[in-house]
Amino acid sequence: MNDREKRDFQAGLEADVDAFLRGEPTRRTFIKRFGQAMGMLPIAGGMLGSGVQWALAQAKMELEDPNTPLGKAQALALKASSEGPADGSAFRAVEAAKQFAGVNLNMTYEAGLQGLDPRNFSGPLWEQLTGIKSTVVELPSPDMYSKPIAEHIAQSGAYDILDLQPQWTPALADGGVIAPLDDYIAKYMNMADLEDYHPLYKALPTYKGKIWGFFDDGDMFALYYRKDIFEDPKLNEAYQAKFNKKLEVPKTWEDYAQVAQFITDQMAPNVYGAGHFRKAGSPGNQFDFMQQFRSNGGMFFDDGMKASIANDIGVKTLNNMIAANKASIPGNEELDAVSLWVAWLQGKIAMMYSWPPTGRMSAGYSQSDKAISFIPQSSIAGKVGYAIVPGGNPEHAFGFNKALAADSANPEAAYLFMQWACSPPVSLARCMLPYALRDPYRISHFKSELYGQLFPSAPEYLANLNASANVGLLDPIMPGAQDYQLSLDRMCTSVWAGTDPMEALKTAAAEWDATTENLGVDAQKGFYQEFLKLPGATAANTVEKLGMAVKL
Amino acid sequence: MANGIAADGRTSGPGRHPSARKSDNWFKWLLVAPAAVLILAISIYPLLFSVWVLFVNYDFQIPGHAYVGLKNFTQVITDPVARYSLWVTVVLSTINVVLEFLLGLAMAMAMANTFRGRGVLISILIVPLFISPIIVGQVWVLMLHSPFGPTNYLLGLLLGQEVNIRWLTAFPWNFVALVLADMWQWTPFMFVILLAGLTSIPPHVYEAAELDGVGRWQTFWYITVPYIAPMMLLAVTFRLLDAIRLFDTIFIMTGGGPGTSTYSASYYLYTIGFTQFHLSRATAGAWIFMILTLLVVFFLVRRLLRAEVR
Repeated sequence: MNDREKRDFQAGLEADVDAFLRGEPTRRTFIKRFGQAMGMLPIAGGMLGSGVQWALAQAKMELEDPNTPLGKAQALALKASSEGPADGSAFRAVEAAKQFAGVNLNMTYEAGLQGLDPRNFSGPLWEQLTGIKSTVVELPSPDMYSKPIAEHIAQSGAYDILDLQPQWTPALADGGVIAPLDDYIAKYMNMADLEDYHPLYKALPTYKGKIWGFFDDGDMFALYYRKDIFEDPKLNEAYQAKFNKKLEVPKTWEDYAQVAQFITDQMAPNVYGAGHFRKAGSPGNQFDFMQQFRSNGGMFFDDGMKASIANDIGVKTLNNMIAANKASIPGNEELDAVSLWVAWLQGKIAMMYSWPPTGRMSAGYSQSDKAISFIPQSSIAGKVGYAIVPGGNPEHAFGFNKALAADSANPEAAYLFMQWACSPPVSLARCMLPYALRDPYRISHFKSELYGQLFPSAPEYLANLNASANVGLLDPIMPGAQDYQLSLDRMCTSVWAGTDPMEALKTAAAEWDATTENLGVDAQKGFYQEFLKLPGATAANTVEKLGMAVKL
Repeated sequence: MANGIAADGRTSGPGRHPSARKSDNWFKWLLVAPAAVLILAISIYPLLFSVWVLFVNYDFQIPGHAYVGLKNFTQVITDPVARYSLWVTVVLSTINVVLEFLLGLAMAMAMANTFRGRGVLISILIVPLFISPIIVGQVWVLMLHSPFGPTNYLLGLLLGQEVNIRWLTAFPWNFVALVLADMWQWTPFMFVILLAGLTSIPPHVYEAAELDGVGRWQTFWYITVPYIAPMMLLAVTFRLLDAIRLFDTIFIMTGGGPGTSTYSASYYLYTIGFTQFHLSRATAGAWIFMILTLLVVFFLVRRLLRAEVR
């Protein structure tokens, strides 16, 4: 077993442990892997314990076969970094960074698969190009917000580069945790690269007129459905007979619940109409509510900055979600995103909306790497269609900005890594890694022929992600975003447990108002007004409606 | 050695050279210094710092640390989630401790007499005490997960009909689940302490009672209980103090949900402190909770000391 295989095996084992602890049907794999790990201990030569070996392994980069699309993309990234064009952001970053050879950068990544890119690809490649080392600090999702704050309060300088959700930018910028990049951008970046961002994502790191990071992960929700089920003649006939209309991929949330219920009635327990990740803290609830609420015409706050969710639109949204729950796979309310993927890949669900890795996993591309072997092989490859979510306004849920830690001891070196990693050729290669969970976000990603060769339906997959971004909605980007969303998650889980929707909405609205008052009504009003100016803030303000839609 | 002359010729008594006495005094403090510094650094300083945080704005999302008077306290006191979480803490800790006490006592009574395999059985029974509460919570999530856990399936076999209880996401089953997990882990604690108490009762007392024809219930009530009363109080005190800090299993099993229905005081403080980063509110809440806990501790310790005197 070489170093790469050991790392991947370890990552897979950790993922298996996590999956096992979540109660997913991977017990046999877990026990097998655990047995393998125990058996390997005496002969592994310190596989688990040797920090030196681990550090050495981190510095070893492995490129894919240059004949594969990923291998070609990696070769292009390497060429752009080492040979130019001389005005390219990747080349400029590498040339400028060589003066910092020997420095070590600590960078946070979401724990698990996200960390494999800097460990296996971008980190070692950067070190090879510049002599700058990197240490990947893996953090669970909620800690990606709290740990940088805690380290900033302690002024430890523990991190140089932070992977952050765009919605956290105002809080972390105001709190002094992250530093603006404008001066560095002016000094080092090819400004044309900023224009390569999809318009929905371009402004995400901007706050109070400054740029606080580089957007780096297009987490756009999309609808994935089983084409074979929707094309089944018997089902079509039965649906026509029952509803006097054609069985089609749903375009409204009411249709979605109705179609899901119909499929469940016809095909359960073999296949259920839909599945959702509704577990508390998962965090599907708030994203789903925010996309449906705004798609139904809702606005989060009124002119006086009072929460305006406890109304008919809010009730309609929750009732639609309840109807979808009833039509879903058993245990729907206790599933998280990964559990749902497992059910989907095993062919138990006809429709699901989730993040872009769903498409790559469905095609079986992600599972081509051992690191992601905790996800079952796809039993539905070639049977999956892509569409914009019902309602027509998908949520851009989470996403990541790469941000510069204000307490970094090596801010310039850290910035240069960020510019390099997010440059068009390098970011394309990173997005194409089967295990990395980084999703396309640049126009050049959506248009990439190499990406389109990754699996047979990749061109349609990319086209749907681009089309979804054209009509997509952003998470609210303003101070208190964490608090507002926590209230929504609580609200939804209490409704799933039987609380009256209006009562739950009123409780959440009261919590929102308390948060707003705590942060200052006028200040929050100003932030909200700024947010409303962003493309994708509301259903009436999407990239498409502003005439900026990207056509491939 | 008269007059403080040591074997090596140095003076050690009042007649010693003043500079040597001074040096001894300093040396005493030097020995104590590491422990004192450590306590100051990790205990006293944070405590004093928290007093300052109580009266200023230390909310990460609001710049500056302006003086806010008692606002942090009023925010906690007027927060319905805070009041509810306190209620949940009282209810859950009371139910947990009462059930664990009764079950632990029953087990201790059953194990008080020697029999073949008793040692092995006791060893097995106390295993849950050595498991991290996080792991215990995760195991119970696996057991109770609906529909993939075995509990509903086994109940279905037992009852002869399909069982679809949402143990983790529906009231009141989420409370039942939390109590089950807590009981599984902590009943052995009660059991061990009460067993120690029971085995310390002199056998001749029981023999005398038997000769006098005292019934089983009367023996238990008038001999066993008075003998082990201090141990009972000790077990309940220790367990209660631990139970009111309930956090781990809630964090893993229910995440405080659905809604905020299983928020304990600790979980509430964690959420506002380390999820939302309202640090001054969390500190005020922690002080309120600590004062309430101190009242309980004071009452229980007084009872405990009184029982020891008797």
